[in-house]
Amino acid sequence: MPRRLRGKAWVFRGILDVDWEICPYSLVRDLKRKGPLTYEGLGRYCMTNVDPVFPQKVQKGDFIVAEENMGYGHDHDHACMSIRGAGVGAVLCESAAPYFLRNSIDHGLPVLEIPGISATVRQGDELEVDLEQGTVTNLTGAVLTFSPFPDFILEILDAGGLYPLHKQRLDAARDRHARNRRPTTA
Amino acid sequence: MGKTIAEKILARASGHRDVVPGTYVEVTTPCPTVIAPHSAMDKGAGLIQEWGTTVFDPTRIKIVDGHYGATASHDAAENRRVMREWTHVMKIPAENIYDLGRQGIENMVAVEHCWPLPGECYFQGVNGHISTAGALGAFASALSYATAAYLLTGKTWVKVPRSLKIIVRGELPAGTCPRDVSEHVLGLLGPSGAVGMMLEWTGPYIDRLDMDGRFSICSQALFTGAWTAIMNPDAKTIEYVKAHTTAPFEPLKSDPDAEYARVVDVDVSHLEPQMVPPPKRHVVRSVRELEGVPINRGFIGSDANAWISDLRLAARILRGRKISRDVILNVTPGTVTILKQALDEGLIRAFVDAECVVPTPNEGMEWGANTPLARGDVCIATGQTNYPGRMGSNDAEIYLANPATVAASCLEGKIVDPRKYL
Repeated sequence: MPRRLRGKAWVFRGILDVDWEICPYSLVRDLKRKGPLTYEGLGRYCMTNVDPVFPQKVQKGDFIVAEENMGYGHDHDHACMSIRGAGVGAVLCESAAPYFLRNSIDHGLPVLEIPGISATVRQGDELEVDLEQGTVTNLTGAVLTFSPFPDFILEILDAGGLYPLHKQRLDAARDRHARNRRPTTA
Repeated sequence: MGKTIAEKILARASGHRDVVPGTYVEVTTPCPTVIAPHSAMDKGAGLIQEWGTTVFDPTRIKIVDGHYGATASHDAAENRRVMREWTHVMKIPAENIYDLGRQGIENMVAVEHCWPLPGECYFQGVNGHISTAGALGAFASALSYATAAYLLTGKTWVKVPRSLKIIVRGELPAGTCPRDVSEHVLGLLGPSGAVGMMLEWTGPYIDRLDMDGRFSICSQALFTGAWTAIMNPDAKTIEYVKAHTTAPFEPLKSDPDAEYARVVDVDVSHLEPQMVPPPKRHVVRSVRELEGVPINRGFIGSDANAWISDLRLAARILRGRKISRDVILNVTPGTVTILKQALDEGLIRAFVDAECVVPTPNEGMEWGANTPLARGDVCIATGQTNYPGRMGSNDAEIYLANPATVAASCLEGKIVDPRKYL
């Protein structure tokens, strides 16, 4: 995942509950009966309780901009899977509910807590986010800053999530082990 | 400058001298962890098998089957089979497995065994209501999607939280219980009153409260936007821990000059039984505002209110009476230990005589896995949440309440103030 992102802002107001506004719990329960949950499968229902056609409108790499307590409620990760599956590149909010923050990063979806963001960004603004520098540049001119993630968190995001990262490390360790056992040519 | 108990525990767990709220650290713990068949595979446990690798320490992984009970739905049988196979492959010791009939709600089984220890982090792959363990002076969190990564490495990352201190004073009036205290505080703070924070519960009311009540209050942290809850260990905590485990521990406490994001002072002397009407979790009312609403289903249970003290309170109201003919009331003790104690005290007999349903200990009805609701049902429950579809049909309604209110309302088939029965 690149550390500089660019896309359009989709602004949502009010409490966004993981089990209601973002992706309804009962829907997830019904989808599970049909097979394992996927990003794309959940992405089709992202925010549809608030905007029924959001998944059709949002372009890959766009941003969700939210107010405080983004991802309120239970530690249910179908919400961040749904946001990632809809193609959203990052979530920018005043503050994030703690389990939503954890699950999103672990699923490779950056969630940035930027006080003031919801007041300075309007629906449709073009934004450029630099995860390393900790800046959000609104192409109308305003720049907001945030504390960048430490390297070990950026590594998780770079890999596309916690499990891709762990799989990479496991494979690298196995490759090293296999190479060490191969006889060298003299 | 002083530190909060949360900051001190995370410093210990991360190996830093101290930690700063808002920063990220990696932590470990000597405590075991719990996973459960209803969620372990969703949270990636199967990946470990798929990758042909293994867990960091099988002796520190406990399996508790706490969400299904005897249900035939929710893929219970298949998930149980998959979990059993996984435990064989990972060589989880047999004594770490708490199968149906030997178990209960995961968060409650964990604190009964004192797997969380004062002064340490405690992680589970189950749900956020593990904040319950904060009553032991542990920094307790769910792992959620990070569960498998934790099982692989024994490490997880945390963002150090700020703490919000709650000071609770006063004596609870009759008919109210610790759950009403946490609902009242939720109402005061609102759903965004403590986003990402540690709720540190203190004050003379907490000091006098028994462990059941402390666990119950800590279980509900996340509805204020908070991450989890904690209480500074005192003599009562230490006595409980020593009675339930021989594991060594070193408690930590907040310094008197620790810094808090906010301090909230609450007097509960005039508290009334609280209720949360559907569909929003954070709208908290007094029972008096909702009296008369007809109900046809009831639930006493979940990790908020399946403790022996909750069952005793419900039995006081139900003993010698029968619930309304139109009502089904499910009373589910939280663990096998609590069920046995309830049997010894004659509480189960009181429930059965009152024509209640008493399932094997599990989270069951709270999430629609036992006695589910149908279209048009109106349920009064001591469960954790009330959003549409939680307990079955999307077209059923859920009112949250304390165990006394649930019991009294099921006698009359409508919401009633339980104080007239006490």
